[in-house]
Amino acid sequence: MVLEVKNITKSFGGITALKNISFSIQQGEIYGLIGPNGAGKTTMFNCITNLVEPTSGEIFFNGEKITGLKPYKITEKGICRTYQNIRLFPKLTALQNVMVGGHSRVNSGVFRSVLRVKSQKKEEQRLKEKAEELLALVGLEQWKDQFAENLAYGQQRRLEIARALASNPTLLLLDEPAAGMNETETESLFELIKTIQSMGVTVLIIEHDMSLVMRLCDRITVLNFGEKLAEGKPEEIQNNEAVIEAYLGKEEEESIA
Amino acid sequence: MLGEVLNPYYLQVLCFILINIMLALSVYVPLSSGQLSLGSAGFMGIGAYTSALLAIHFELPLYITILVGALLAGVVGIIVGIPSLRLTGVYLAIATLGFGEVIRVFFINWENVTKGSVGLTGIPQLGRSLLNVAKAAGLEPGAFGLRNNQFVYLALAILLLIIVSVLLWFVIRQKNSRIGRAFASIQMDEKAAESMGINITYYKVLAFAQGAFIAGLAGALFAHTIGFISPADFSYHRAVEILIFTVFGGSELVIGSVFGAVILTLLPELLRSVSDYRYILYGIMLVILMAVRPQGILDVHLLLRMRGKRMTRGTG
Repeated sequence: MVLEVKNITKSFGGITALKNISFSIQQGEIYGLIGPNGAGKTTMFNCITNLVEPTSGEIFFNGEKITGLKPYKITEKGICRTYQNIRLFPKLTALQNVMVGGHSRVNSGVFRSVLRVKSQKKEEQRLKEKAEELLALVGLEQWKDQFAENLAYGQQRRLEIARALASNPTLLLLDEPAAGMNETETESLFELIKTIQSMGVTVLIIEHDMSLVMRLCDRITVLNFGEKLAEGKPEEIQNNEAVIEAYLGKEEEESIA
Repeated sequence: MLGEVLNPYYLQVLCFILINIMLALSVYVPLSSGQLSLGSAGFMGIGAYTSALLAIHFELPLYITILVGALLAGVVGIIVGIPSLRLTGVYLAIATLGFGEVIRVFFINWENVTKGSVGLTGIPQLGRSLLNVAKAAGLEPGAFGLRNNQFVYLALAILLLIIVSVLLWFVIRQKNSRIGRAFASIQMDEKAAESMGINITYYKVLAFAQGAFIAGLAGALFAHTIGFISPADFSYHRAVEILIFTVFGGSELVIGSVFGAVILTLLPELLRSVSDYRYILYGIMLVILMAVRPQGILDVHLLLRMRGKRMTRGTG
């Protein structure tokens, strides 16, 4: 088990964003987290990366409890994420953005960096090569010296994925990677996520594009108003009464009368 | 030969330019990690008083007192930096400005040591001690055709130039490394930086303490250049002046701080002919600059354009 979420509850003042949510993800899976707007999906991501601390409950990563760890420690352990509203470093180049992603995998301090000792130069070279490979993987190699803010929207989304991959994650969290993409872009995103899976990275994805989710995911959890509505394989989810009701609304016979 | 060209007044202005470059860097480094610190005047004061008092009362060699002053400022920087982590933007600016005032008032009130608002006089001058070192080594200023006071300022200017070069080398190399990328990413998006595996607490305190160390070093060198200091030298006017060096020159670039410090130190000297109006002109110029180029005179785009032109010229 890569990730085990156990009875997570998160309240913001009087509002409960997540109520007693549990699910677990197996090695190599692509796991979907879906639900209507405001269901608590991003809050779940924030709890896993500890950007917000859950009110109660525990999260285990590779059997180790990660609740309460600082976000940068969680990245060191091997979880990295992208954001729903793209959060790149706008005035760094594409290459530098990806190199920042690799921060926790290198360890030169102030003096080694300033004196440029041999080990630091090698380390920097390796980091750069890895970043270039990742840019090639997401199809941005010719844009490596562009500032992130000058890239097109779809490119920025892919750059965020490359940046997250630079930290060598075992678990990659993708928050609506297809948002705002056209069909062609979504198709190449599908290929990209499949490639990432084949590299041995487990993926947890939040997505509203249902056809993408259903084709991509091995298993899915559905959230609605902070509660877990259903869990299962894509075909089970598609035929689940409660899920259909949450998305399309209940047929109200009385209102006709 | 040399003796006719070298005017001690020009050399002194050069020394102040070099000290001001250091002060501008002391704002640049924390700012490059997203921390707007107005504490430089306070840290400068700590460096200046520490070094001056050690030199006056214990007659320690100046390289030791200056280093101790800078280090003490750096340590205070760590102590102030940690609680300041919760503050960002203008709130941090106000808190650090307040810190500077606390330091200034402390120097005023600790009268039996600091002589209060009268200040310290008779601080050993760095140039003089360089002269003594040279004489002990058998080098007479006369051999270069220099008078003693010319040699004093020339030696001081050269020493300061070396120190500034080392600092610039340090800051630029650090900027183009893992550390610099961490600073830049924190400046642009703290939360995203943290979820990319960057220990933001460490890097923010590191940048803040480096700024404090540089300001303390500049303060100590200032004390031993000018020979007398008083708490008024480290007031909030100074804090704002230092900030302006960096903002005027362009806070995105190391070279912007250097540029700002050079121009803004020279300008009042060049405007001496209009005496009473010079600070009015200085002020008007700042207002115009901030209206026209809020990012400062130098920025990344300007630099790229200049480089691009040079490249096309080179190939074409």
